[in-house]
Amino acid sequence: MVELGIALVAGLFYGLAIGIIPAAGATTGLVALYGVIPYFLDYPMAGVVFLMAVVAASTTADSFTSILLGIPGSNSSAATIVDGFPLARKGQASYAISAAITTSTVNGLIWGILVFLFLPYYGQVLLSLGVPELWAFTVLSLLTVGFVSTSNRVRSLFAIAAGLIVGAIGVDPNTNAERFTLGWMYLEDGIQLMPVVAGLFAIPELISGFKLTPAGRVNAKENQQQVLQGMKDSWRYRWDSLRGGAIGAVVGLLPGLGGAISDWISYASTVAAHPTEKFGNGNIKGVIGPEGSNNAQKATSMITTVLFAIPGAPFAAVLLGLFMYLNFEMGSPDLLNNIEFFRSMALGFLVATVLVAIVSYLFIPTISRISQVPYQYYFPILIVLIVWSCLQYTGGWEDIVMLLIFSVLGIAMKHFQFSRPAFLIAFILSERVENMTIQITSLYSVADLLVRPVFLALIGIFIGLLFLNYKLKLKIDYS
Amino acid sequence: MKQLFTALVLALGIASTANADYTLVVPQKPGAGTSVWAQIVATELEKHLGEKIVIKHIPGARDIPGFNEFHNNLQQDDKTVMVSHGGNGVSFLEEKVDYNYAEYDSIGLMNLNIIAGKRKGDPMDKVRFASGSGMTPEALAMTMLICGPDKTVDQYIACFKEHVTWVNGMSGGERRLAFKRGELNGTRENPAAYKKHVESDSNAEVWFHHGILDANKGTHSDDPNYPGYQFEALFKKRWGVEPRGDFYNAYKLAKSFRDGLQKALWVRKGNPNTEKLRQALTAMANDPESRAKIEKDVGQYQWLIGSAGNGQRDALMKLITRQALSDLVKFNKLALGLESVFKENLIK
Repeated sequence: MVELGIALVAGLFYGLAIGIIPAAGATTGLVALYGVIPYFLDYPMAGVVFLMAVVAASTTADSFTSILLGIPGSNSSAATIVDGFPLARKGQASYAISAAITTSTVNGLIWGILVFLFLPYYGQVLLSLGVPELWAFTVLSLLTVGFVSTSNRVRSLFAIAAGLIVGAIGVDPNTNAERFTLGWMYLEDGIQLMPVVAGLFAIPELISGFKLTPAGRVNAKENQQQVLQGMKDSWRYRWDSLRGGAIGAVVGLLPGLGGAISDWISYASTVAAHPTEKFGNGNIKGVIGPEGSNNAQKATSMITTVLFAIPGAPFAAVLLGLFMYLNFEMGSPDLLNNIEFFRSMALGFLVATVLVAIVSYLFIPTISRISQVPYQYYFPILIVLIVWSCLQYTGGWEDIVMLLIFSVLGIAMKHFQFSRPAFLIAFILSERVENMTIQITSLYSVADLLVRPVFLALIGIFIGLLFLNYKLKLKIDYS
Repeated sequence: MKQLFTALVLALGIASTANADYTLVVPQKPGAGTSVWAQIVATELEKHLGEKIVIKHIPGARDIPGFNEFHNNLQQDDKTVMVSHGGNGVSFLEEKVDYNYAEYDSIGLMNLNIIAGKRKGDPMDKVRFASGSGMTPEALAMTMLICGPDKTVDQYIACFKEHVTWVNGMSGGERRLAFKRGELNGTRENPAAYKKHVESDSNAEVWFHHGILDANKGTHSDDPNYPGYQFEALFKKRWGVEPRGDFYNAYKLAKSFRDGLQKALWVRKGNPNTEKLRQALTAMANDPESRAKIEKDVGQYQWLIGSAGNGQRDALMKLITRQALSDLVKFNKLALGLESVFKENLIK
């Protein structure tokens, strides 16, 4: 029992640190643990608790960086920047972080409980969704670009087209022939997500940070009031929070979509749900909407991972390997009967979710002061951490070149007001939409599709969304 | 408890890559099949090598860039070891790659098998199968099983197009789910993954396997884990004759390079650490605890260490003939739609 407690606390603080490091996140944090996991062989359940605590804590803590610095704490918290950072600039950092932490915690708990309590029973639900439903959901996700575009239609379309083209760099899935690589072999695997997110969102904000005057000082009492107000508002706008959580949960269930998209879809749905309001200038709903999605996505990603040994997201692929090293074979009947394993998973995820919230609430007033410190004092540290995060996958100089290229692109897009979120969503979904389209056309005829009610319902929503976007002309003040 | 504390200290910030002595270059992202295998081998090998091993992931299209990088730059480092897999073997035969097995020394390799599964009771006359890296042998085998003996390569290609829906653009996870849902009626896995993903599915059964390679004889024998399901045996049972001809030779070439080099460790020729690594690998392969961990990942298959690994490689090279290679390339291009190239330099 003692070792479980120690593992929990260690996972909590390690996850907290990983969450706060710019552009890092659960996947990066877990990759760095391969050298450590053998030490848990004598205490495998402590290992499970530790790993789940890392996932839960890093997913909640990534809001700090997004809100305070305007740079994503992880791939899956970029959308929080859009309204979170302007709030911090207005001296309301504690308010925004408190709302984000509360939303993350509530959704982490709701979806964590739903997942871990009924984990063995989700198999049939998952198997009832086929390629057509996944295709429809992917295309539906792509349509969310319409809700995160800027008011300039031409520039937005250009950003979407550019994202789709950059996402298509790599190999043609039909022929395995290289495509748009300019003969550079590195590009045949496509462009890695991390340098794109960091380049588009982190570096431009760091550069802009030099021009910004530090946010005004906020006294201790005001800070406490902000924390309380953040908690209250996350209850007040609970439907935005729960909608974001539900979207994240669905994305987590569908292998291949990944968390980097769920927060943007949730953000877009929040914008669509409040057509008369302005977003991008510090609307708290723009923080609450996307913040619950990544916690829910992490929880539901565990379903395919545990039941079928099929990772629901990149972090789950790494987790699968770490679990295997601890002699837990995902997808095996033995594991599904291992109550102690499920208890440890639930303990690690749920308790860490609560504890990281408590720790965060305690430190919000202190950490929020970062927004009062001029950027030049911590600029070099942030650059080092961003570069480190980008190097965790291939470790090659090419990733740094990509970071530089997308930093320049990000700065230019920000300056000329081309929508960076629209570019990112199109980039992430480009390959996915193409692959799913190949799959659906290979396996299904039109007649097959017409007898699938979920598919038809999704197509109905798809058409409704197109209409809504055309009719309401929803736009955000963020590029 | 002391170990646990050590783990926690490490976890809280000490980078595991610091002070590494050896590097295993893996051509995949963390979490992928060979990455997981390499991680387990690295951890077990460390115990017998007495030095720290780190993994360097160099992922890329069809896992080629990592191996190319080893060939062009990294092999000069005496403490860098390349980890390759069966897909690299198939790419070596039919794609433009820089790496060349003939130029390295084998530390050791695992001689594995790939098992194909199908939906229970399905006659498999109309196949729905996902494409993927290194899956050419499955395509060739199913074509022969469906279309029968004594056809020209062009006739087999036409038959494949008529009977097989070869689904591109599916990841491994998507393929497994699509098979469980019945959208695909065929799939394939390495033995350990087969147990996990197919054998545990009550609606699935063994379709065929490729057999265990004896590279010196250039033949395959039945896999004791799945007796009676070797391709050659099933073909004879269905069509009454042994498989033969150009198309079969192309199939044998592809499966030998894929399965005979399924998981392999390489260093440059003349590397002064070669013997030390081989000794450590031998000790690891004989250590029941280490062996059990690796077998859990890939199944119970034989390690060929040191000169035995080089022997396997050399025997495989001798299997390459002009006809077999050109037929393989032709099938890839015309049946699977891939951009394969015929490599004259591979013909001895």
